[in-house]
Amino acid sequence: MVRPVVSSGIESLDSVLKGGFPVGAVSEVTGPDCSGRTSLAHSLVARVIESGKVAAWIDVSDSFDAASAAAAGIDLRRLLWVRCGVTEISHLEPVREFALPDAYLIPSKPKRGLHGGGHGTHPRQEAKGLSNAVSGLLQGEPLSPRCAESQRKLRPTQVTCAPASRLAISAPQRRSVLSPYERIEQGLKSADLILQAGGFGAIVLDLGGIAPEFVSRVELGMWHRYRVAAERTQSSIILLTQHVSAKSSAELLLRLHPAEMVLNEATVFTGTQPRAEVARHRFQERGSNVLPIRKPPQNANIACWQNRTSWAGQR
Amino acid sequence: MTNQTSLYACLYLREFPAQALLRHRSDLHGSACVVMSGEAPGEEACSLNTKARLSGMKHGMSRVEIETFAKPIIMRRSIAIETVTKAALLEVAGNFSPRVEDLSEDTAFVGGIDILGTRSLFGPPEELAKSLLMQIRALGLSANIAVSRNFHAALSFAKGFSRRASVQMVNPGEEAAALSSLPLTVLAVSAAQLETFASWGIYRLGQLAALPEKQLISRMGQEGKRLQQMASGTLPHLFQAIEPPFRLEDRLELDAPLHILESLLFGIRMMLNQLITRVSARVLALASVTVTLELEGKGIHERTVRPALPTNDKELWIKLIHLDLEGHPPPAAFVAIALRAEPGSTSKVQLGLFSPQLPEAGRLDITLARLSALVGEGNVGAPALPDQHLPGSFRVERFALPSGHTSMGISAISRVSLRQLRPPEPVMVMLKDARPEGLRFRTRRYVVEHLYGPWFASGEWWNRDRYGLEQWDLTARGEDGSILCCCLMRDRVRNRWQMAALYD
Repeated sequence: MVRPVVSSGIESLDSVLKGGFPVGAVSEVTGPDCSGRTSLAHSLVARVIESGKVAAWIDVSDSFDAASAAAAGIDLRRLLWVRCGVTEISHLEPVREFALPDAYLIPSKPKRGLHGGGHGTHPRQEAKGLSNAVSGLLQGEPLSPRCAESQRKLRPTQVTCAPASRLAISAPQRRSVLSPYERIEQGLKSADLILQAGGFGAIVLDLGGIAPEFVSRVELGMWHRYRVAAERTQSSIILLTQHVSAKSSAELLLRLHPAEMVLNEATVFTGTQPRAEVARHRFQERGSNVLPIRKPPQNANIACWQNRTSWAGQR
Repeated sequence: MTNQTSLYACLYLREFPAQALLRHRSDLHGSACVVMSGEAPGEEACSLNTKARLSGMKHGMSRVEIETFAKPIIMRRSIAIETVTKAALLEVAGNFSPRVEDLSEDTAFVGGIDILGTRSLFGPPEELAKSLLMQIRALGLSANIAVSRNFHAALSFAKGFSRRASVQMVNPGEEAAALSSLPLTVLAVSAAQLETFASWGIYRLGQLAALPEKQLISRMGQEGKRLQQMASGTLPHLFQAIEPPFRLEDRLELDAPLHILESLLFGIRMMLNQLITRVSARVLALASVTVTLELEGKGIHERTVRPALPTNDKELWIKLIHLDLEGHPPPAAFVAIALRAEPGSTSKVQLGLFSPQLPEAGRLDITLARLSALVGEGNVGAPALPDQHLPGSFRVERFALPSGHTSMGISAISRVSLRQLRPPEPVMVMLKDARPEGLRFRTRRYVVEHLYGPWFASGEWWNRDRYGLEQWDLTARGEDGSILCCCLMRDRVRNRWQMAALYD
């Protein structure tokens, strides 16, 4: 019996999986943060969309990055993105702006002293004309010059238009305020609706940002239902989790180990090197039912590949 | 092939204000309904239904007189509803002939249809009249139809026969004989003329037609001649055809303010049914439907539903409108419902034997509406990248089934993807020489292994804002051997460290 598969776009993984991810089944990709689950799902969805189908991405933790999806080659018009647990909150966050108060910019009135403004206690100690001189430095108009007198050139006072301290109003932001349980519920319901509609080549249920203690509370019957629905609609359901959740309902369980770094450049981050282990793969072809005496050759079940950042050059 | 020069079908709807109001109110058909017009103290009955007439109510009665009867249902006359009903009627008439004339009176709809030369399309005139009557009944109205070679003879017949919803045929050459038994009131006779005729002892059209022509003209002038010609079915008619605009509108006014969505949908379902009948008569489909609710007091609540493809599937429309109104309920009780639709061409989708399976358009619309109701509007759709450098900017567009193949080329190199943290999560960073050395994120400690940056990022460069964000890419190893590969942001204005995204 030929079981249809869809290529993941990663050669080494496809060869380990004997062609790719199964069609019409639930596949679970599990691993810790930064292990390369999302890149793998992006690569797979790009291949599904390339074949002319449409795909759905149910984003339970609202962490889908459209820019990196486009960089992975996904035609975004053919991707249905469902953001779960996002409620609109228009919040005004004051941004502090610094500006000098007006008092520092407008010169104060010249201070008149006791007698001539020279700040002396007695006319004898008065510095004559000091006050005028000081005010003359600051402002240009105190004395009208006489005809022959040489005029001191005064620079015009710079008028500084400093903005008053204002509140920069940022656009209303959407923030996730729902609890993980509510978000998971929304995600599962959305997956149900999309499966009922049918016709989607791949449905990615991204639970990768939700802690395993929440995801493991999902009933196993739910995953079984998805498995049956996937078989009926012939769409591949990809489950991204941190810990194994779908158990026996998943036809393929891919465990990703913490990725190694690719250190090609000293100045920019160039990529990661994920390592995937096929923990379970149903319906694998076995040679024969007869048990040989010798230990048969074991299948390679670990694949390694490189994910490079879009700004790193090709090496 | 007959050598007829003219053939008219005349359409007469008596008590039009009452019929228009009761069109969508089948529950009131068994009770006596009166339509009042005029200002409040001096209002008078302008239209009645059969039950009201049988119980003794008459035109021109005041409200007080009407209220002396047992349980009358009193309604206000609505010109808006009459207008949309008239448009629907003219459109039905226009299905049979392009030449339609509107001769409506104050409380009756009168329409003339030039049906000459339609025999090959609709069969003999009797068949045409019957199918016209069927279509009018589908609108919830009852009418009299008469077909004759003479327009005025057809009109008099349609008015004169009291049997409701009947079809009358006048054979050519027998107009005068057929009209002779009809009362004088079917002609547009003034009260003074009617009085004169009564004093002569003339009550029927046959009697009027038999009067000597010259003596009649000498007593009543040219008007008398005209009436006599009408009575004998010989007056020629100048047909002034109108071209009714194709407007898909319907309206329902309620007696009392209503706020229950199910009742609203019940009304919408009836109106939608008729809109679909009208639009499918032109081989079109509904492309969008706008529901306008007039709220109690002042105000309007308007919602437009536009599925991806024009469709005439009533259940699909009801479901979409239901989901939309559930997500956006009217802020107050409503007193009137108006439906406005735009026609679109019926879509034909050519499915290929080897083309990939795609979602069905109608089901996809419902799924999208349900998803919007579940996760909120604006959270379902196709992601799109705006042409700007603002970090993390995206747009959610309406998801539509694409046509043709994807134009994107996939590179052979696998790319690192980001997982955005929305909103950015706070992180505690230990610095050494102003560079992160270790961090504490989600209750775990990490030691930085590789550090790249900082890059300065900020809002729009054309604004005066300074570059207030520092971005670091780093890889860090946790105490338990876990790897963190992330993008850190430092807000330089507030001196705050945040985790913006994870490389996954």
